[in-house]
Amino acid sequence: MTKIIFIEADGTTIEATAKPGMSVMQVAVNAGIAAIAAECGGACACGTCHCYIAEDWFDRLAPAKSDEADMIEFVVDPIPTSRLSCQIEVTPELDGLVIHLPSSQT
Amino acid sequence: MNTTTFDPLSESFARDPYAAYAQLRDLAEPYFYADVDSWMLTKATDVEAVALNKTMFRSLDHLLTEAECKDAQRKMNWHDMPYHERFVQTNLLESEGETHDRLRKLVFREFTAAMVARQRPTIQAFVDQLLDGLNDRDEFDFVEDFAAHVPGHIIGRVIGVPDADCPQLRVWSEQVVRFFNIGRDDNDKRIAEQATKEFYEYLLTLVAERRKTPQADLMSRMVEHQDAGRMTEDELVATTMLILMAGHGSTIDVLGSGMHALLRFPDQHQKLRDDPALINLAVQEMFRFESPLPYFHRFATEDTEVGGRMFKAGTRFGLLYGAANRDPSRFENADQFDVTRSPNRHIAFGGGTHFCLGNHLARLDMDVIFTTLNERFASFDLVKEPAYKPGLSVRGPFSLDIAVRRR
Repeated sequence: MTKIIFIEADGTTIEATAKPGMSVMQVAVNAGIAAIAAECGGACACGTCHCYIAEDWFDRLAPAKSDEADMIEFVVDPIPTSRLSCQIEVTPELDGLVIHLPSSQT
Repeated sequence: MNTTTFDPLSESFARDPYAAYAQLRDLAEPYFYADVDSWMLTKATDVEAVALNKTMFRSLDHLLTEAECKDAQRKMNWHDMPYHERFVQTNLLESEGETHDRLRKLVFREFTAAMVARQRPTIQAFVDQLLDGLNDRDEFDFVEDFAAHVPGHIIGRVIGVPDADCPQLRVWSEQVVRFFNIGRDDNDKRIAEQATKEFYEYLLTLVAERRKTPQADLMSRMVEHQDAGRMTEDELVATTMLILMAGHGSTIDVLGSGMHALLRFPDQHQKLRDDPALINLAVQEMFRFESPLPYFHRFATEDTEVGGRMFKAGTRFGLLYGAANRDPSRFENADQFDVTRSPNRHIAFGGGTHFCLGNHLARLDMDVIFTTLNERFASFDLVKEPAYKPGLSVRGPFSLDIAVRRR
């Protein structure tokens, strides 16, 4: 099991366990995290599973493909470590990944 | 269950489709509804899985020969409607893959949360003006006298249609979709075709104006895309028509059913009055509770497992969003209208690549409307129990007579 740490905008920390092959978005949804709206269900079609990767983790992720990069242009309050959580696949190497959540997706 | 007990055209279904949906959801396997040659999916997990499955398409045209396509058109009865074929049956929603992704990307920017938020003052001003016009009425039809005017006007603004022409947009939009009426006759077809032609000709004039004098609107942006070779003129026209048609009737319907829900559940309405910051959750719940477009379809393009059994390529599935949004395995107290429900992972806007483009705009309309109504009026009362539209494809009251008391 891989552990993912989500930190809400108000500082609340939620640790969730993930199986390899899941997306980080699915992990958040299963953990009941409302800040990940993920309205299109993971098709890179809505931009509402936006999250901020902790700086020391950002370069350890496979880079965003063009569809995801295009969509990140449209999310609310993007920063250089913004990603769409539906496009990040959980692998054992991501054990301990720290993700900061935006206060709102809309 | 047999076909005689699942009857979406019946009065009892219009009154309460959720009882019928619950019966289908309790079956071990998807239910085959012969009238539309489709396997009906009612469980949230099944509906979501098919919406997200990239091998499930809106049409099978790409697998058919030209002759087979013509046959299919004849069967669907729009073979003799050239404008309708060009601009209504062919569009972003009915396309897949590269064409779909290209067209969606070209217009997506105008429908992001940030871009849509810019329309708030426009929506507020229009809603205030409509309500001012009702100042001398203590009773009115919330649907016809109020809600029906809003979405066409606001979508018109986004597109770049001058305000004076927005009422005509509503007329065309309602005429074009008469093709999809239950019990459609030749007259409906004639009216739908004529309206499509008139709307097309109107849009060509608007295109020419924007080409000459670009503005900060969707039409000017699409003209830029057309001139740069990123979309054809037919694609521009069809995309514009789709944006109007997809957002017009459905928003009116959910405004009506949302208002009705507040009237049916006064404790929930009071919660929203006591805490107006609940409006986003309340609006989400309105979409879940009475999903205005409760039924879409997909075709399997390869043999696929759905809901525990295998289906052949070519199988047609009915995605009953209205049923999935009442699935108790997804939503606690699913039949309860709860304005504090969070998270509220409803699928009223569909899912996957065809996820509703206009979702933010529809929700902003509703946010402004219900917030303003609660500010202006001390109370609302239902004058008469409303009748809901029949059929699988839409959900909303024909009319909603309410009595209001001003502050």
